[in-house]
Amino acid sequence: MKNRILMGLAAVVMVAVLASCGKKPQAEIDATNAAITAAQAAEANVYLPAEFAALQDSLNAINAAITEVDGKLFKNYKDVVAKLATLKTDAETVTANVAAKKEEVKKEAEGLMAEIKAVVEENAKLFPKLPKGKEGAAVIEAVKADLANVDAAVAEAQALYDKGTYMDALNKVKAATEKAKALNTEIKEVLTKARIRF
Amino acid sequence: MSGDFFKPGGRAAMHRVWKHILLITPLSLFVAVMGFLIFYPVPKPPAGEMEYARNAISAAVKQGAGTYSQTLYNYALNCYDSALVLWKLENNRNRYRRNYDKVTRYASLAAAKALEASRDSEANTTGMNSSVLEKINSVMKTDEEIKRRFSKYPLPTEFRHNISRGQILLSEARIAWEEGDYVKAQRKIEEAESLLTAAYEYADADLRNYFRAYPQWKTWIDTTITESRINQDYSIIVDKFSRKLVLYYSGEPLISYKAELGKNWVGDKRVRGDKATPEGMYRIAKKFLHDSTTYYKALLLDYPNEEDTAIFEGMITKGQLPRNAKIGGMIEIHGNGGKGSDWTAGCIALTDREMDSLFSKVSIGTRVTIVGSMYSLNNVLKR
Repeated sequence: MKNRILMGLAAVVMVAVLASCGKKPQAEIDATNAAITAAQAAEANVYLPAEFAALQDSLNAINAAITEVDGKLFKNYKDVVAKLATLKTDAETVTANVAAKKEEVKKEAEGLMAEIKAVVEENAKLFPKLPKGKEGAAVIEAVKADLANVDAAVAEAQALYDKGTYMDALNKVKAATEKAKALNTEIKEVLTKARIRF
Repeated sequence: MSGDFFKPGGRAAMHRVWKHILLITPLSLFVAVMGFLIFYPVPKPPAGEMEYARNAISAAVKQGAGTYSQTLYNYALNCYDSALVLWKLENNRNRYRRNYDKVTRYASLAAAKALEASRDSEANTTGMNSSVLEKINSVMKTDEEIKRRFSKYPLPTEFRHNISRGQILLSEARIAWEEGDYVKAQRKIEEAESLLTAAYEYADADLRNYFRAYPQWKTWIDTTITESRINQDYSIIVDKFSRKLVLYYSGEPLISYKAELGKNWVGDKRVRGDKATPEGMYRIAKKFLHDSTTYYKALLLDYPNEEDTAIFEGMITKGQLPRNAKIGGMIEIHGNGGKGSDWTAGCIALTDREMDSLFSKVSIGTRVTIVGSMYSLNNVLKR
């Protein structure tokens, strides 16, 4: 009886030792990598660069931890699996936050685009009212050039917006808005000086 | 022993012995193997070194090394990746024969390069921050100079377009700099600088070339003032660059009016339709009240005078003007001005109130001298 118990115990110990050699959590690794790829595809590196860099740091640390466990005799991926699960959740959160941030930038770009379009329209309406010369339309080259360049900048910003690169579109439209507003002030000053109603 | 076996119970005893042998031997063997596996010293992987390298790379990323110290940063990344690959390769070897020296070397190299990239990036960022800002400020000054000196200066359409484009790029550079994107800011400011500097240099050269006629203008001015003093009469000097019409009496400036000119006011009038205001010594040929002019009141000048005609014909002869070109005429000082721009076809426009004032003082034959500037270029630039 005593021997049987000893034999049983020995078998249990051997099985336990052999069973403790865990399998690499490939499914979890793939899922986490996919979550990070999704964050990158959502342009987390553009809209939330610090958060995306943190994700990559964590991934690098986990890859090193996996390699470390791989080299051990008794492989225990329990910690790695927990870290992979956390990183996957973090990556998903970042992806969701990117969408929110992108939407915020998009809205800001839309707002500025609407604002600049209104200023451009007003400038276009005011331009013909500028003082006229003896021989037909007055050509104020500087204003004309400014109007053309603001139009070009707005078109560029619109193209960037249509392409979905909202951050670039926002920066482009910011600069164009400054110019359009300065131009608007300049035209109004000339009209006021010339006592032309607008 | 063999005697015991044949004793009663000897077989059972032997059976127990075998049982012990069968149980204890593998168990002992297992324990021995496990003990060997666990306690026999194996080379330790450089996990600490790898972590240090990773932290150094992470710090380099935060320092913007990916942008501002690309070569060193990429080198550090490659070293880290190589270290990881070598570590994996070592894992495939017999655990007692593993050698992590190379992994350690690459991890240390990765950390060293990452630290170097951090320092380099910090220096570059600081350097770029100030150098780009310096350039932005310098280009802003060029832009301000263009606005101050040449906002009303007739420039070719291409240059006006470039100035405008340059100003938008300047704004983009400033916005990028404020957001810490120094690479983009540098790219934009270089584009802006190229456009604005080229326009400024063109305008400046054109202006200097225009002012080469200053000695001639000075002679005309001195003659006009002397005439006014000797004749105890009115004379008019029009300063195109300052956009001023100055009424002299007895050689002294009496009233200064703000004048508006032809769109292409720089340079002498050459041909009809060039929208330039002529330069020279003229006289008032006719006075028109508002029933005879559409510009409130007008003082017709005797343009073209003999000198203008001689120059014009010389240009036709030299082929500098087409044979069918006309010299033009009907250059007046008239009302309807005060529009804040150079809008006439070559005439000089004053406000109606100023026209009333001038009209009442001058008469047919009053000297009207039109010059590019009453002041030398150096004086003009200092003003």
